[in-house]
Amino acid sequence: MTAKYVIGIDLGTTNSVVSYALLAAEQPELHVLDVVQLVSAGTTEARHSLPSFTYLGTEQEASGALDLPWTSERSFAVGEFARQRAAEAPDRTVGAAKSWLCHPKVDRHQPILPWNAPDDVAKISPVEASRRYLQHLVAAWEQAFPDAPLAEQQVVLTVPASFDPVARELTREAALAAGLPVDFVLLEEPQAALYAWLATTGDRWRKMLKVGETVLVCDIGGGTTDLTLVRVTEEEGVLQLERVAVGNHLLVGGDNMDLTLAHFVAGEFEKQGVKLNPWQSVSLWHSCRSAKENLLSQAGPEKQTISVLGRGSRLIGGTVSVEVDRTSVAKLLMDGFLPECTAADRPKRQRTSGFQEIGLPFESDPGITRHLAAFLAANADLDGGSQFPTYVLFNGGVLKSEALQARLLQVLEQWSAGTRPTVPLAGVHDLDHAVARGAACYGWAKQRGGVRIRGGVARSYYVGIETAGLAIPGAPRPLRALCVVPFGMEEGTECDIPSGEVGLVLGEPVQFRFFSSSTRKHDLPGCLLNAWSEGELVETVPLEATLPADADADDTYVPVRFQSRVTELGMLELWCVGTNNSGRWKLEFSVREEAE
Amino acid sequence: MRIVQAFSAFFKILADREFALRVAQAAETKELPATKSAAPSSPSPPPAKAKVPSRNEAVTLLATLQREARFVDIVKEPLDGYSDAQVGAATRDVLRECGKTLERLFAIRPLAEEDEGTAHTTPTRLDAARYTLTGNVAGEPPYHGSVVHRGWQVTRCELPSWSGSDEAAKIVAPVELEIK
Repeated sequence: MTAKYVIGIDLGTTNSVVSYALLAAEQPELHVLDVVQLVSAGTTEARHSLPSFTYLGTEQEASGALDLPWTSERSFAVGEFARQRAAEAPDRTVGAAKSWLCHPKVDRHQPILPWNAPDDVAKISPVEASRRYLQHLVAAWEQAFPDAPLAEQQVVLTVPASFDPVARELTREAALAAGLPVDFVLLEEPQAALYAWLATTGDRWRKMLKVGETVLVCDIGGGTTDLTLVRVTEEEGVLQLERVAVGNHLLVGGDNMDLTLAHFVAGEFEKQGVKLNPWQSVSLWHSCRSAKENLLSQAGPEKQTISVLGRGSRLIGGTVSVEVDRTSVAKLLMDGFLPECTAADRPKRQRTSGFQEIGLPFESDPGITRHLAAFLAANADLDGGSQFPTYVLFNGGVLKSEALQARLLQVLEQWSAGTRPTVPLAGVHDLDHAVARGAACYGWAKQRGGVRIRGGVARSYYVGIETAGLAIPGAPRPLRALCVVPFGMEEGTECDIPSGEVGLVLGEPVQFRFFSSSTRKHDLPGCLLNAWSEGELVETVPLEATLPADADADDTYVPVRFQSRVTELGMLELWCVGTNNSGRWKLEFSVREEAE
Repeated sequence: MRIVQAFSAFFKILADREFALRVAQAAETKELPATKSAAPSSPSPPPAKAKVPSRNEAVTLLATLQREARFVDIVKEPLDGYSDAQVGAATRDVLRECGKTLERLFAIRPLAEEDEGTAHTTPTRLDAARYTLTGNVAGEPPYHGSVVHRGWQVTRCELPSWSGSDEAAKIVAPVELEIK
């Protein structure tokens, strides 16, 4: 059966959104799916987004209170109800599963969430949490479109541009288990945001953008910040878009801002002698979320009252409030998260204490502008020419605040040093739903034709090869890195890696160390690095394969070369190909053994 | 031909909430008999459970306003003994959240497009539900006057659906119990 709809799914750290369009239409007409979800025990409502939270219910609750129209006796809830329970019962609520999905220090298949929860809570793994959100979205879709099963539609799922191949693989695993079609496509979120903008301009973007110009996509979500550079190029007289750089995965976002503000306001309360209990603190966090926008706006009142409502039914009597000064709050948030800095500034590295808990690896420097400076500096030299972003496209709920946009523009202007300052892309922006919409646009363009952003892989990848030589006791053999995937290798291509032969032992698992680099953009496949500067290559999880021993053959090892592939669906694959036989073995990420 | 039209309307109703609402409104105002309705039967997704919810939707609305804005708490609380500032501090938050909730569920919009105090002319066929005429009302419509209140109407109506037991149907907010 051929697909009737194209469906874009934005699986976010804090919110997930589904957008769709009829494939048969002349122009992609995008809609946002209203997702039916629990908003309270026994109560469902359709909302534009599904908060990415899971609440693990008690036994009593499993007898119907958490049921949905399509389930019964469910023992957990996802969505708005789970988000509310996150405040009231943190030990039973899973949040930020997506950040855990790309955390290399934990086994992401193990039931570890909620992190540090007591033993009587049936914990789930980061992969399982992601599967549940997607499964809910699939069910909500099928509830609304019973005649168009999701598995038969064309589906595009977005991931952060900074997700490494392992996190992508795990996302894919969760998605397939949730019932997405086998041929669903992964798309990077900042690209999706740009597709959404392109769709709003119709074809006018060809007049708005010129060859050689660069667009910076700055996506600040609830929990993460994602940076991408897209360049306008030309091929046979036709404008093309090319994604030329992707930033590192930054675990800092809007939630950090709300918490910072809440912390500050709690301090103000303390000055008045009011000590907030844990429940009030959570309530304060919510109040701060609403107050943030007002406090940051230029036209707002100089003083604003922030209240924490009384908990019981004595609401007025129990309410405590404090007046905060707008200037000091704006300073706190702006200077904390978007500090003015020079183009030469870099994120501060904090010395790690010996007691560091595993937890999530939050950024030690929350100054997003310093991360931005480092990102732009690392990518200033694209194809020889100096590239300062001509335009910026803002995305993510946090950047709905005009004050934050203004600060980013101001900082970019200071950095531009006399060249034309960066301006925002003109047009209509829907910062909450752009990624899902853009994903649907991309799917539509893939099927029906339309502009595509070229990109390929965002990093170059290397396999570690131990050099042969005399072993020195106590010293590891020197390691060299063989480039197996060049930067920008495109979807749907494969590459035989020219290299010396590597001998693989049959019948035993073999492991290769695996590295990535976001800065070495000119290494060709087969290029062997003897040395690299610190931070240039980042080690990810190892690759492994077990080659079956052949009973008839005498050989105990087989010479192979590497072959790399980037599938049409955006997945990276590495293969070992026998040089004197026709054997071919796929190397898998050994995710399960990486936990320390 | 009509069947093609009916099917396209059917899918549009499914996909486009506003269109669905317009169809519903059209069906209402023109008083079409149900058999001539533009859409085939059961255009909306089947409701939660086959069972008819045993709770009045007004209670669901009340529970929603309490849950999201603590509306019942504030109207049930005696105001004696509190200063205006105390009442104000608490009310500001409650009103803001009530507003957000009502906007999401009902999207309430003014009926008259003109601002208060400006001139407005009624249609010749006057719908008595849309207008309250005051002052010197004489003669036949259209009437010319000045808008005193713009009126309100809901532009959607999306109450949460409830699937609890009969015993729970009257509960607006549960007891909160903190386990130490």
